[in-house]
Order: sequence, then structure tokens, then C-alpha cells
Amino acid sequence: MIWPASNPSAAPPAIFCDLFDGRSAAIRRVSARVDDTALILTMPEGETLSWPLASLRTVPDQADDALLVLTTTTRALARIMIEDKGLIKSIRARAGRLDAKPPVRGRGRVFGWAAAAVASVFAIVFVLVPVMADQLARVLPPAGEEALGTATLEQIQNALGEDFLPLDFCTSQDGDAAMDLMLARIGGKDLGLPYPITVSVLDHPMVNAFALPGGQVVFFRGMLDTADSPDQIAAVLAHEIGHVVARDPTRIALRSAGSLGVLGLLFGDFAGGAVVLFLVEQMIQADYSREAEAAADAYGIALLQEANVDPGALGDLFQALLDEFGDATGIAAHFMSHPALGDRIETARSAGEGIVRTRPVLGDGDWAALKAICD
Amino acid sequence: MAADTLNTDFIGRLGRIFRMAFGMGLLSVLTLGIYRFWMKTRLRRYYWSSIRPGGRPLEYVGDPLEKLLGFFIAVVILAFYIGIVNLILMFVSFSLFDGNTAAYVASFVGVIPLWFYARYRARRYVLARTRWRGVRFGVDPGAWGYAWRAMLYWALALGSGTLLWPLMTHRLEKFRIDRTWYGDRQFHQGGTARMLAKGMMPFWLILAICAVVIFSNWTEDSIETVLGIAIVSLPLLGIAFTWYSVRSFRLLTETKTAGSVGFRSHLRAPRIIGIYIFGYGLAAVITGAAAIAASLLFAALLFASNDAQFSLDDLDNLTAPGFALQAIGFATYFLVFVIWAALRHVLVTLPVWRHYADTLEIVGAQSLHDIRQRDRDEHREAEGFAEALDLGAAI
Repeated sequence: MIWPASNPSAAPPAIFCDLFDGRSAAIRRVSARVDDTALILTMPEGETLSWPLASLRTVPDQADDALLVLTTTTRALARIMIEDKGLIKSIRARAGRLDAKPPVRGRGRVFGWAAAAVASVFAIVFVLVPVMADQLARVLPPAGEEALGTATLEQIQNALGEDFLPLDFCTSQDGDAAMDLMLARIGGKDLGLPYPITVSVLDHPMVNAFALPGGQVVFFRGMLDTADSPDQIAAVLAHEIGHVVARDPTRIALRSAGSLGVLGLLFGDFAGGAVVLFLVEQMIQADYSREAEAAADAYGIALLQEANVDPGALGDLFQALLDEFGDATGIAAHFMSHPALGDRIETARSAGEGIVRTRPVLGDGDWAALKAICD
Repeated sequence: MAADTLNTDFIGRLGRIFRMAFGMGLLSVLTLGIYRFWMKTRLRRYYWSSIRPGGRPLEYVGDPLEKLLGFFIAVVILAFYIGIVNLILMFVSFSLFDGNTAAYVASFVGVIPLWFYARYRARRYVLARTRWRGVRFGVDPGAWGYAWRAMLYWALALGSGTLLWPLMTHRLEKFRIDRTWYGDRQFHQGGTARMLAKGMMPFWLILAICAVVIFSNWTEDSIETVLGIAIVSLPLLGIAFTWYSVRSFRLLTETKTAGSVGFRSHLRAPRIIGIYIFGYGLAAVITGAAAIAASLLFAALLFASNDAQFSLDDLDNLTAPGFALQAIGFATYFLVFVIWAALRHVLVTLPVWRHYADTLEIVGAQSLHDIRQRDRDEHREAEGFAEALDLGAAI
């Protein structure tokens, strides 16, 4: 052999790696070495490129841990892919800013559009949709309202029913007659509405009552069980008639049709987003109705005063509810659809002052028949 | 001299993808979904770099911030459309049809063109941010053209009782591929709808058997028969359709060209069907077990906080849980979703991608060297529409 013995000061054997110059898809096998200031790449044709160490950046989240993919801030489209462990080690040791993130551009634009997105969703959900819903509820034909009310009532019966059977109505000849009498007594029969008010009782222990589009007022059995006097039921009925006259149920149905889809845009596509969506919708819904409830209270009280029935009875009923269940405070209060009970008791009782009560809204016999309507 | 045929390998690892998907899934929940744009970007970088045709990894260069921006732009536009249009539809439906069915139908139909539009735009964005060997992919604009064609072919496919389904598959793929570029090289989709039709045979056969069974047993109250047949045949139809899709992908891949560059695929439908059945099955079992364990734990906490014994008789004595417990309940609920998503990556998405990549060959690779870079496609709203319409399901 006439080769000289290996010389420690001679250049180490060339290390080849792939260079992609970002101009074409050609693969360039280049020899690479690193000195104190730069990564030096020698092309097959002999030309050299020098990438300053401070300009080297790794391409993040690479699946292959054994491959170092580098780019340079001076030529953002170029890539070099290094497999040699020794070279990777010396580059990692010398290049200081390998994992530095590129400067963030257009942050202001993102904030601008974020503000626009939030503003437009708020404007649509809280202004545009409610205003349009109120206008449209006014011109919706009565037949459409009645159909909506019937459909909703069926949904409620199915949702609250057990063993796949819808919840039943309570009905008895005397009980129905008593309810009809009560409705007539507080003036619910001549309000000039396009549809008659129909009152029904659902066989369920919940202490509640609600109004549906198209003049339907529905009591739960629990409400009749809880009431101590017919005046209390009359007061609730008057309150629900307030909702019917204001067309609240129709407005709320139209509002949720508009706002639910918009909120779905924001919270749709991540784990369990449906729950967030439901809670947000619930809050908005509750906010809509707190105003509506206060208005219905006022209407109901006026109706009772007109009929010489004591509006204070509503206060008594609320007091009974408050004693039994307590009032919602804090966070839960935002999810409640009614104003705080304490406020409502006070309003109802002060409205009762000065009313000359001639007689209870129903006689004892009729009241007993109404209480027994579910038996 | 470089080889003229390039094999593709896939080097993604289960452990790493599980850690990424789980950790970033939690972050997405904690940030009310904002982090999902970062999660998507990082997962794509990982998946893309796992795919290595000829040993050189793909690279995904999309930016999370541009996705966030695109999402906001889409929300501004869509919020108006969806809010106002849905409200008016509901009103018209109540006024004219005395019910809300018409509104739901119209509102759904109204979103369909947007859906196809968003899909095309999202594909364009993703390919514009994909590079291989330093060169960008790209897609020509054409989202509205795609949307009306997609509606037309879907109507034909469904209207013909799925007989024209292969026509839809081929024509829509051709529309997308003929507008796709790698650098300055345009792709071309060859082949015919007829070549795909054979793949639908098992599906049609099952449909025909169902139809014969139903009509031969038709009586006044045969709802039970129909339901029973549906329960038996739906999983079979699902398998038959997956077989068709995988076979079509293979044939469409082999009839794609980019100049003198061609492709071969050795994709095997049974393998993909097996991954789906086993992967989703196992993911469901594990997630179900986690969900049961979490709810038992939560119930125990609930009883403990009420000083009650763990007994069904005490259920009536429970009062509403306090704020801390409510928070724990929510956290548990979201945790189950995050576990499911992470398991789906490990047991379904990654194995499927691995098989698609492993079985892909590029032929005529010599001419790749002549391909030049293409200009950057700014694509300001990124995949915002797809994101807002919840179309960006996996990654």
C-alpha cells in the first residue's frame, strides 16, 4: 500500500445529505460540514453554500427522530435533511437558535377579525334575531301559531312521559267546568285574541305551569296540589295569559331557531362542544324570558285587579315555593328563566293592597273538583 | 442514478400520536376550542412527516394563526347567513305549512352547497400548505363550480337508487384532481366511472336482497320486518360500501398521472375494513370502560359530599351538587371525549394512513427532477368555512 497513514489533521470523511433548494423538486446530494460560524454545503458541481449557524431552524413535529430537517431564515423554502448522527450532534451543539419560533405576523389582523366575529355574533343573537323574531311573531298567522303550540305540547308530553308513553292529560267533567269558570271569572274569555285560550292539566308532580303558542296554557298536577286557594291558581293563570297576549312563546320559538345555528358555528367542532352550546343557549333563553316574565307578572296582576281577585295570592304561592325549594342565587341564577322569587312576592303583595275582595274566584265545591281533576 | 420507482414508507408511532392527541385535546377543551387550530397544525405536521415517498417526508407548513383568522372570517359571514335565514325559514314554515318540518328541511338543504364549497376550499388550503422535496402542491380555484356539480351528481346518485354512485365518485374526483398541481406539474385523472361500478356489486346485491325480502313479506303491519332487515343489513352495507371506497381509491390512484409520473397502489380493502371494525370496536370498549369508571367515581363523590350511604334508597335525599362537584362532573364529561378522540387516532386514523402510505408506489419518478416551484397561494380564509361548519372532523 502506498497510501499515507491516516492523518488526524486531515478533513474528516465527507458527510452527504439531501438538499432541496425550494426552486425545483430535484434532490441534491451535497456534502455538509459545520464550522464555528456556518453550515457549509458543497454541491456536486463544486459550488458551496454557507448557512450561518444563527440562521438555522429545525422544522418542528417531525415523525422521524433520527432525521434532522433544517431550514435557514435566509432562504425559507430551502430544506436540508441530515441523517448523520455526528453531524446532527455538532450542529445541535453549535447552532443556538435551532428551535426559535418564526416571528408572528398578522396578529393585529387576527384580533381585528376576532373582534368582528364576536361583535357580529352578539349583534345577531342579541339584537337582530330578537328584533326580527318580535316583528315576525306579530304577523305569524294564528293557524301557524296553533300548529306550533300543538307540536310543542306533544314534544313536552313525550319528553316527560315514562316507558315510552306520552304524559296524560287530567280531565273530569266537574274539574274541566271549574277551570272554565275560573278562566271566565278573570276575564280570560274576552281578550280579543285570534284564538281561544285553552287550559289543560298534565299529570306530573312538577310544580309549574307554562304557556305555548296559539293560546295554550298548561298546568302540572303539582301546581294544583301545592296551591291552598283557587285565587293562587287564578293568579298563575293570569300570569300565563300575560305570556299568551304578549306572544312570548312564539317569539321565543323563532328566536331560538335563529340563534341556535349561529352559536353552533362557534362551539361546534371540539370535544363535547354540544354541552357548551346547550348551556350558552340556555343562558340566552333565560335572559330573554326574565324580561318577558316581569311583563307577564304585570299583565297578570292588572287582569286580577280588574276582576277583583287578590293578586297577593300569587305572592302566597311563591312564598310556599320559596319555603319548600329556596331561591336560586349565584351562578345558578343566570340559568333560571324567572326573576328572583323574593322580588316577585313583594311585587304581587303590594299590588294586592287596596283590592276589595268580594268573593273567592271559585266556590268551595268547584275548587274541590279542580283539585281532584287528576284523581 | 435514482430509482425510477419510489416506494412510500410510513413511520408514525402510536405512543407519540396518543400523547399529542390526548394532551392537546385537553388543552383544546380548556381553551374553549381555541387551541384546536394549534392542535390540528401540529398533528398534521406529524402525520405529513410520517409519510415518506422515496424516503423523503412530506411537510405541512400551515400556520395556526391563519386558521384562527380564517375561522373568524367564516363566522362573520356565516353567522349572518345562518341566523337570519334560519329565522325566516322557520317563520315561513309556520305561516305556510303549519309546522316546522319544512324549515328544518329547507335550512339543511340551504347549507349543502356551502358544505361542498367549504370542502373544496379546505382541500385547496391544505394542499397549498403541503410540500414534498421542497416544492408546493396547489389547487386551482373552483369551489362554486365544485359545489353545483357535487349537488348535481349527489342528486343523480341518490335519485338513481345509488346506480349512478360510481359516476359521481369518478366525476367529482376528476374535477378535483384535474385542478391539482405539484409545483408546475398538473395532475390528470384518467379512468372511467364504469371501472368503479364493479366495486358497487356487493352493495347493490345486499340492497336487492333486502328489497326482495321486504316486498315478498309485505303486509299491513310489516314495520317490524323492515326494522329487522335494516338492523341486519346496515352493518353489511357499511362493509360493502367501505370495500367499494377502498377499491375505488386504488383504481383512481392507478389512473392518476402528473406528466410522465404515475402511481400504483396495492391497497387491500379487507385490511381497511378490519382496522375500522377492530379499531372502532376497541376504542368504544376502552372509552366506555373509562366513562363507566368516571361516572362511578363521580357518583361516589356526590354521595360522600352529602354524607349519605351508597344506596339507591338515598337517591331522593341528594341535593344539587356544589360548584366544585359540578366542575368535576364537567371535567369528567370532556375527558371522555378527549380519550375517545385520542384512541381514534391510535386505533383507526394512524393504522389506516399507514396502510394507504405503505401500499403506494410512484412510477416514472425520474421526471420529478424537472418540476419547478409554484407561487404561494395566500388563501386568506384558510379552511375557516369547513371549520365553522364542523367539516374538519379528523385532522
